[in-house]
Amino acid sequence: MSDTYTSNFQAIRAEKPKRNSNLGRILSRVRRQPATLVAFAFIVLLAVIALTAQWIAPYDPTASNFDNVLQPPSGEFLLGTDNLGRDQLSRLLFGVRIVLLVALGAVLVAMAIGVPLGLLFGFHGGWWDRIGMRFVDMAQALPGLLIGLTVITIFGRNMIILMIAIGLIFASAFARMTRATVLGERGKLYVEAAAVAGLRKSQIIFTQVLPNLLGAIITQAAVFIGSAIMIESAMSFLGIGLDSDIPTWGAMLSLAVENQSVAPYLSWPPGIAIVLTVLAFNVFGDGLNDAFTGERRRPVKRVRPAAASKPRPATTAAARPSPVAAAASAVAPVLEARDVTVALSRPAGNRVDLVSAVSIDVRKGEIVGLLGESGSGKSTFARAVLGMLPAGTWLADGTINLAGKEISRRSAKELRSIRGDRLGAVFQDPMSALSPVHTVGNQLIEPLRIHKGMSKKAARARAIELLARVGVKDPAGRLDHYPHQFSGGMAQRVAIAMALAADPELLIADEATSALDVTTQSQVLDLIMDLRDEYGMGVLMITHSLGVVAETCDRVAVMYRGRVVEDAEVGALFDRPQHQYTRALLAANPANSAGLDRLPTIDRELRAVIDAEQDAEARKEALR
Amino acid sequence: MLKLILSRLALAVPQLLLLSFFVFLLTYMVPGSPAAAVLGEAATPESIARVETQLGLDRPFFERLTEWYVGAFQGDFGNSYVSSRPVSELFLERLPATISLMLGGIIVAVLLGMALGLIGGTKAGSVRDRIATAISSFSMSVPEFWVGIVLVLMFAVQLRLFPVVSYVPFDVDPFGWVRGLVLPSIALGIGGAALIARQTRTAMAETMSARYIDSLTAAGVSRNKLIFGYGLKNAMVPVLSATGITISIMLGASFAIEKVFAFPGIGSLMLRSVTGKDFAVVQGGVLLIAVMIIAVNLILDVSYGLINPRSRPQ
Repeated sequence: MSDTYTSNFQAIRAEKPKRNSNLGRILSRVRRQPATLVAFAFIVLLAVIALTAQWIAPYDPTASNFDNVLQPPSGEFLLGTDNLGRDQLSRLLFGVRIVLLVALGAVLVAMAIGVPLGLLFGFHGGWWDRIGMRFVDMAQALPGLLIGLTVITIFGRNMIILMIAIGLIFASAFARMTRATVLGERGKLYVEAAAVAGLRKSQIIFTQVLPNLLGAIITQAAVFIGSAIMIESAMSFLGIGLDSDIPTWGAMLSLAVENQSVAPYLSWPPGIAIVLTVLAFNVFGDGLNDAFTGERRRPVKRVRPAAASKPRPATTAAARPSPVAAAASAVAPVLEARDVTVALSRPAGNRVDLVSAVSIDVRKGEIVGLLGESGSGKSTFARAVLGMLPAGTWLADGTINLAGKEISRRSAKELRSIRGDRLGAVFQDPMSALSPVHTVGNQLIEPLRIHKGMSKKAARARAIELLARVGVKDPAGRLDHYPHQFSGGMAQRVAIAMALAADPELLIADEATSALDVTTQSQVLDLIMDLRDEYGMGVLMITHSLGVVAETCDRVAVMYRGRVVEDAEVGALFDRPQHQYTRALLAANPANSAGLDRLPTIDRELRAVIDAEQDAEARKEALR
Repeated sequence: MLKLILSRLALAVPQLLLLSFFVFLLTYMVPGSPAAAVLGEAATPESIARVETQLGLDRPFFERLTEWYVGAFQGDFGNSYVSSRPVSELFLERLPATISLMLGGIIVAVLLGMALGLIGGTKAGSVRDRIATAISSFSMSVPEFWVGIVLVLMFAVQLRLFPVVSYVPFDVDPFGWVRGLVLPSIALGIGGAALIARQTRTAMAETMSARYIDSLTAAGVSRNKLIFGYGLKNAMVPVLSATGITISIMLGASFAIEKVFAFPGIGSLMLRSVTGKDFAVVQGGVLLIAVMIIAVNLILDVSYGLINPRSRPQ
């Protein structure tokens, strides 16, 4: 036992040098962010100005010159002079020094106070944490300026006190962030492993957690420097920062206000300087954050390539009726999907088909299963039927007919009148399928009002009937309840009631029972079958469960890698599977593997064979 | 709901006691007597001692503290060292201006911030989202008081559309009150708008990709109704819980706005008292601001409960 932990711990130790390559990765990410680089360059420029101000400034920033009072910008005074004749450009340049010094000092003070407190709260927990965090909450609720103002009142005005005053404002934020990071890291395996390996808690803090905190602290510091500059400027502007002789941007703006009517030019340079500097630190901080967390804010491409092929004319679909459909009655199927192809455009610009040439029919009163593993494209197909494809994907080919009428490629408005009226859908995870801040009744009444044009009162009465029909007890009382007051099974019944509100011809159940426990699952399935019998609607049952298919479906289509590999009556499929993927899938059913050592799976070699066959077929089709 | 309000109030009392204790303690530690500051240049040791006795500054710390607490409970925060007028009266005089400014600022912040957040959040990742995000990031880097200065320069000094000195009490001239509030409210609101925009954008982007939006879409609900009827109410849950801090930040920023527009609010009173070491006023002011913030948070908590059914006691 202890051996396992020791080796675990050594493994963690062994991983440590990775941090260097981490740094390399972070730097290379930063290098790919032009905005971050520009911001960084500007910060470097500011630092250079701060260091060289005494050489590059044309005049002494504090020397009054009463011969040149309130001079507008000219060749002699590039940015003009103030009411004491002091050169604005020189004051602006020296101001960089003060601004950076105070902001940097303040953030260091905030770190020095906040980080140890956060570590203490995070590691100690208990009363330390509870009482400590109350104080942190209180401090954060007060306006920062008020804290700064109080400190200045008591201790007077000088640079160190100003740093402390501003630092105190951000200390609570550092404490909160450090605590959150520690709590996050604390639960991780390596800290526990280190504790088991006999390291003292304090040792763990410094050797393990602190390096992990660094990224978060540096990012926060960059953003807080920006905020500290804002607060320092506001305080100097209000005359509670440094002495007004000392060139600060805030004090310059204070003079600008006093002389606003005679010397408007005084208002611009210090303000622009503050904005650019704060912006630079904010952008730099955000960029660092992205680099540390590995996020890139890339917009989703919504451009549909012009090369997208036109929908095939309906005649093509009619020319190739599925054998089953030909044998069936003359009545058009409720759902008639032909060659549905859904494409996704990758950021790189190429196109991938998520669903390729899928044709499925669902007749009135029939339950058709769409069976497949995760990622096989079954849900994407359902979304294509609903006209709810996610951004970046589009219906590239094929036709979808609902009761004989083409519904793909309709306008949003036309789709809305179809969805919920002739087409209902129930999704996975009922608890998230209903809006948590609206009553169940509100959501149930919505489709009735939209599609049936019912009055509020009539819709409410109908909603009660519907709830009673799907088996919710005390429907009138439950109508005004919120989703969190329902159990998962009951919530799914509500979702079904919502989908059935306007008597749809087709119900799409997308993994509608996967999140439910077995008993509830079969109750909900029974309900769907009963409702099918009662309303005579067709059901497209999307599932990964062979059990659900066997229990409910009349027919089933098996999907693999975006294609339907087999489409058969349920009995025929289970007895005489034609495609080798179906055979492998049925063999992998855990219900048949009692007494075996290992559960059968579809192994990699078999997948490779099936994939190769599928690809060859796709090529052949493309040639045709 | 009543239970929630009562429990919040019960929590507020020790917070206020503790806070005023801290302020009292700190003012006690200040080097240099306020009496000297009150007397100014002409101070002699004798006159300082006399004023200290007058103001009660020579009495023991705990005696002064308890006296202050007893008074504060009855609404008496002592008298100003400088003007000898009751502190409560000084603040009551200036509260209308501050509340007017804050209301104006909050209206601008909420309207602008929500609009910007909705533009981005309802289509996360799109070009218009990136533009909206860039605008809010930029607004976050602009000091409110400088926006005020620029607005005055453009609309009051140059175009003469608005008065430079802008506060007119509502009961004197309601129209003038509104006119005077336009520029300061915009200046104050822009910073708050950036914060609200960021929060709304994130919350809205998350909400619009939630599963219940799919269910409602599948039920045929129109996009406008999805956004404004369902999405917004859900998104308001996280936005509201961050609004307390936003308003607190805006209250701090209002001090600087007061200076730009020569507003007679509590900010300028506080500043004058800080520089003049008028601690009686500073103490009262800190407590008053704390009470205001607790009140705002209480209102927010209640509206949070109204929006989010899960936080309601069953």
